[in-house]
Amino acid sequence: MAMMTDTAPTSGHDTQGRGSHFLLHLIVALVLLALGGGYALTEILEFGKVQFNTNNAGIHWGMAIVTYDYFLLTSTGLAMVASLWHVFGMAEFAPIARRALWLAMAGLVGGVAVLFLELGAPLTALWATPLNMQFASPLFWKVLLVGAYAISLAIVLFGMINKPDAGRNPLMILVGGLALAVTLVAGLVYGMMAMRPVWFGGEIPVVFLIESFVGALAFTMFFSHLKNGFNHSNMRPDTRALFEGTLARMFAIAIALHFILHAGRAITGLWSNAEGMQVWGYMTAQPLFHIALWGCVALPFVLMVLPGTRSNGMMQIVAAALVMIGLLISRYEFIIGGQMVPMFKGTWAPELLSYSPSTGEWALLVLAVGLANTVYAFGAWKLGAEDRA
Amino acid sequence: MPKWGMVIDLETCTGCQACTTACAMENNRLPGENWQDVLFYSEGEYPNLNLSWLPRPCMQCENPSCVSVCPTKATYKDEGTGIVLVDWNKCIGCKYCMVACPYGVRFYMDEAPAVEPDVRAEFPASGRRSWNPPFKMPDEYEDASKGIGIQPKGVVSKCTFCYHKVSQAPAGVADLDEDNPETKEFTPACVRVCAPKSRFFGDLDNPDSHVNALIAEKGGVRLKEETGNKPQVYYLSGGGSPAVPGNRSRRS
Ligand code: SF4
Ligand code: SF4
Repeated sequence: MAMMTDTAPTSGHDTQGRGSHFLLHLIVALVLLALGGGYALTEILEFGKVQFNTNNAGIHWGMAIVTYDYFLLTSTGLAMVASLWHVFGMAEFAPIARRALWLAMAGLVGGVAVLFLELGAPLTALWATPLNMQFASPLFWKVLLVGAYAISLAIVLFGMINKPDAGRNPLMILVGGLALAVTLVAGLVYGMMAMRPVWFGGEIPVVFLIESFVGALAFTMFFSHLKNGFNHSNMRPDTRALFEGTLARMFAIAIALHFILHAGRAITGLWSNAEGMQVWGYMTAQPLFHIALWGCVALPFVLMVLPGTRSNGMMQIVAAALVMIGLLISRYEFIIGGQMVPMFKGTWAPELLSYSPSTGEWALLVLAVGLANTVYAFGAWKLGAEDRA
Repeated sequence: MPKWGMVIDLETCTGCQACTTACAMENNRLPGENWQDVLFYSEGEYPNLNLSWLPRPCMQCENPSCVSVCPTKATYKDEGTGIVLVDWNKCIGCKYCMVACPYGVRFYMDEAPAVEPDVRAEFPASGRRSWNPPFKMPDEYEDASKGIGIQPKGVVSKCTFCYHKVSQAPAGVADLDEDNPETKEFTPACVRVCAPKSRFFGDLDNPDSHVNALIAEKGGVRLKEETGNKPQVYYLSGGGSPAVPGNRSRRS
């Protein structure tokens, strides 16, 4: 394979211009990490998680779990995008495979960090989960698979550090396979819950797979443009061909599938009289639902379908950013919506339960964004994450 | 081996919450976070109004979804009694069991107080205990491996069917009845205090138990049979199913 970077004018991660670009990115990421992490940790250490807006009435998983799953599924999707080159040999995707893998690690670190702060006894989880073999629990499998995925991804990245001429890596079959398994099992964690009608259903793992993939394409697109200073003309011709051709078309198809599944589930939920499904009526009456569906799914789809906007760098950035935001909203609505019907609470909770994240829970999202960007920017600055994109 | 179960007679239950209070005292519960609760439901609007109530302990399910989802086996079914317990030494506070319990009977410690002021701050504790209640069960009853005692931080708790009492009952006994001096001390607190005697506790595997006779003769039913959890708590409601209005039907 021809060895080249996807930035036309310069090559090598340590050139003056790019080095300072990544250093600036790293500084901004560290500031976010300090702000989000500082606030969240101070609050947790001083007051505990009683400051969170989750409760025993029924909203057990709040913004922290939304953040964790959002980052985790973005990570697995990115590993699948990298697998297009490494596993399936689609040479067109070679220029973005390395970046996708570093972003996958960044997302994984950000998400798992938040999970550790959310769990009641995270250190116990480290031994009690693998040693007790609860095969019936999807969460047991998820923890095991995430562990294996993290280790294999770390090995692949370690082998790439400052080795700009790395080609296809056979270990990526394992990484890609584990990423797929993590994504599907993450869907099962919710989809298996027959007592939660908004979540229940065999289609949920597929929904997660599509969302994971579409999110990964959005992140790949956004960070590729970021790396080129949001200047389309900085891209090498082969990378630009990918972005104007296959990648953009693939993005459009993935968004369309996401729209179909999202709208299909909403329509089914609205039609159903079953107890629990009334949540769909509530959710679709909220502006957030429509911002996510029309603004963050339908609009990016239009942008990626029309030839004029599809190949326009700025429109790609807009579409990618909208999809990234929309997926976070969808994940939030899915996870919270599934818990809104109180179970046997009588007049203690006579209506649908309400929830909005506390400042500390928002801080966890900022922490995850800061930490993930820190990993990526440091990788790009010092470890050659962008040597060969 | 007994399979302990409970029968609650909705025709005689007055909704007085004595069971709830007794449970809270027996098991060091935080105010408002009741392992055993009496839930009230109102339907319709005046003058066409219906008020109903339902005592609701943990159903101690035969096929408990909380056990199946627990990634660490912290939640388990005790083989000797058929009671579902939580091992606080293994619980990681993931709250999956809370999500998966169809009956909403589990409680996580690290949440905002259900009732102000926060008694955890009023009665602070050191070590593993999350608070130091002015009333509490004798220390020798505490057993973290069974979720009995003062709930530590970061873990989930639930009704234990008063395991610390029930497990001490003489072998082979068919029913634990507060009116029988020989079984009174081993009878769960909620059963023991029930003034109209609406609660009965016994061995569901013993064909001679009074609870089995009640279920057979008065048509005992279980809540949410469609979940397949098979509760070991039965309700008597005069032949029909217990009236637990869904959230949808209660909308006026
Ligand atoms: S009622 Fe809930 S907590 Fe109790 S055994 Fe059944 S599933 Fe578990
Ligand atoms: S919160 Fe504890 S008992 Fe519940 S599923 Fe998680 S580890 Fe098991």
